[in-house]
Amino acid sequence: MRRVVITGVGGVSPLGRDVAALVDGIEQGRSAVRYMEGWDRYKGLQSLVAAPAELLDEKRIPRRKRRSMGRMSIFAVQAAEEVLADAGLDREELGGGRVGCIVGSTMGSAESMNETFESMLPERDLGKLTSMKFFQCVSHTASMNVAHYLELTGVVMATSAACASGLQAIGAGYDLIMSGRQDAVFCGGAEDLHPTVTGSFDILFATSTGYNDRPEETPRPFDKNRDGLVCGEGAGIVLLEEYERAVARGARIYGEITGYHTCGSGVHVSQSNRQSMVQCMREALRQADTAPDDIDYVNAHATATIHGDEEEAGAIREIFGDTVPVSSMKGYIGHTLGASGALELILSLVMMRKGELYPTLNLEIVDPSCDGICHVTGKTAKTVNTVLKNSFAFGGINAVLVCRKV
Amino acid sequence: MADEEIVKLVNEVFEESFEIEPERLKPDAHVFNDLGLDSLDTVDLVVALQQKFGVKIRSDQRVRAIRTLDDIYGFIAAVREESRDS
Repeated sequence: MRRVVITGVGGVSPLGRDVAALVDGIEQGRSAVRYMEGWDRYKGLQSLVAAPAELLDEKRIPRRKRRSMGRMSIFAVQAAEEVLADAGLDREELGGGRVGCIVGSTMGSAESMNETFESMLPERDLGKLTSMKFFQCVSHTASMNVAHYLELTGVVMATSAACASGLQAIGAGYDLIMSGRQDAVFCGGAEDLHPTVTGSFDILFATSTGYNDRPEETPRPFDKNRDGLVCGEGAGIVLLEEYERAVARGARIYGEITGYHTCGSGVHVSQSNRQSMVQCMREALRQADTAPDDIDYVNAHATATIHGDEEEAGAIREIFGDTVPVSSMKGYIGHTLGASGALELILSLVMMRKGELYPTLNLEIVDPSCDGICHVTGKTAKTVNTVLKNSFAFGGINAVLVCRKV
Repeated sequence: MADEEIVKLVNEVFEESFEIEPERLKPDAHVFNDLGLDSLDTVDLVVALQQKFGVKIRSDQRVRAIRTLDDIYGFIAAVREESRDS
C-alpha cells in the first residue's frame, strides 16, 4: 500500500517571509498582531487589530506570471518557491503530469475583490476593470497561480472551506497520492487580509474588539479573557510525496501522514459543534490506527472565540483527557484563515523535529469551560512522534490530520 | 496637449503598468514583438490609457490597428483632437 510523506515546507506569515522567520518569531514569543491604521474608516468595524504579512520582493516574480496574482497568490507562490528549494526538487521534475497542486482559500484575493468593486461602484462602470482582476479574484486563484508559476501539469485543484481549506488541501493531496493518481502534490492554503474580511467576522460578533489599544494581547485562545478572533494572512504549503519515491531520491522526510478525515456538522453554518469535532478526530485516529494515548501533541484550531474554544476544548477533553499536550498558534499570528491549517501543521512538524512544544500565546488564565485538557503554557521539551492537527471551520466543516515521525 | 506630453504619458503607462525600462520605449518599438505585450495585456493597456488621458477608446476601431508606440501617440493625439472639436 502506498504511503504519503511530507518532504518540503514553505510559508509566508505575519511573522516573516519564510518558515525560518515564522519559527524564529514563535520561539521568541512574539505577537504579529497590531493596530491597523485606517481601518476605522470602515463605519461600524469594531475590531481594528490584525496580523498582516509583508509583501516583499514580489517583483522577483516575472511580470507575465505575476500579473494574474493578487496579494494572496503572491504569498502562495513565494511559499511554493520555498517548498521547491526545501524539498530539493528540480523544476524539470515538475512536468510529466505526476506532480500536482492543491491550494485552498476562503475566496479569491480579498484585496483584489475590493479594488474591483471600488472601481466599478457607484456607477456600475466596467470600463476601469483590467483583464487580470478576474484572475486575482477567482476562487482558485492561489492554486491556479502556483501551478502556472511552477508550470505544473498534474492535478490542479482548490479546496474552498474557509479555515479548513488548508488541511482539506493536504488531505485531498494525500488521497491523490494514495490512489496512485499523483506522485507528489504541493498542498496548502492562502489568504489575504482586508478590513472587509475582518468585517465579515465582526458582523457575527466573532472578532476581538476589546484589545484595540493592546493588540499584542489578543487573540487569547482558551483564555478566560478571550473575546474573539483576530484575522491574519499569508500562505503555507507542504510538499506531499509518495514514500518510495521520496526515499529513492534521498529526500528529507518531515513526517508521514497516517490519518485524515473531514466531515460536516450538519447543524449550523457558523457555530462550532462538539460532537462533530469528536467524530472527526476519532475517525482520523482510526484511519491512522492510533490510540489517543499515542498522540504526543494536539495542535488546536482554537481561534479565541468564546464558543469555538469551548467546543474544541470539550471535544479534546472527551478523547484525550488531560494527558495529551494542546496548544494553539493563533496568539502569535492570528487566524490566517485559508493558510491556517498548513502554517500550523508546519509548526507542528517543527515541534516534532525539535522535540519542543510551543505554548499558546496570551493564555494566562484558562477559562473554566476550556479546562480539563493539558494546556501548554510555556515552551516544553518533549519527544514528539505523533501529532494531531485540527481545523474547525465555518459551515461546520471539520478537518483533522494525523502525522508521525518516520 | 503637446505631442511631447502625449509621448511622456504613454511611456509612463508602459513603465508603470508593464514594468518596461524607459530605454526600450522607442517610437518604432512594436508593442507585441519588441515590448512583449500579449492580447491580455492590450485589454489592460486600453484601460490604463483611458485613465491616463481621460478618454474612452475601448470601442474605438482604431485600437485594433495599433502596432507601435508611434501608432499609440498618433491615436491618442487624434482622439484628443476629436474631443476638443466636439
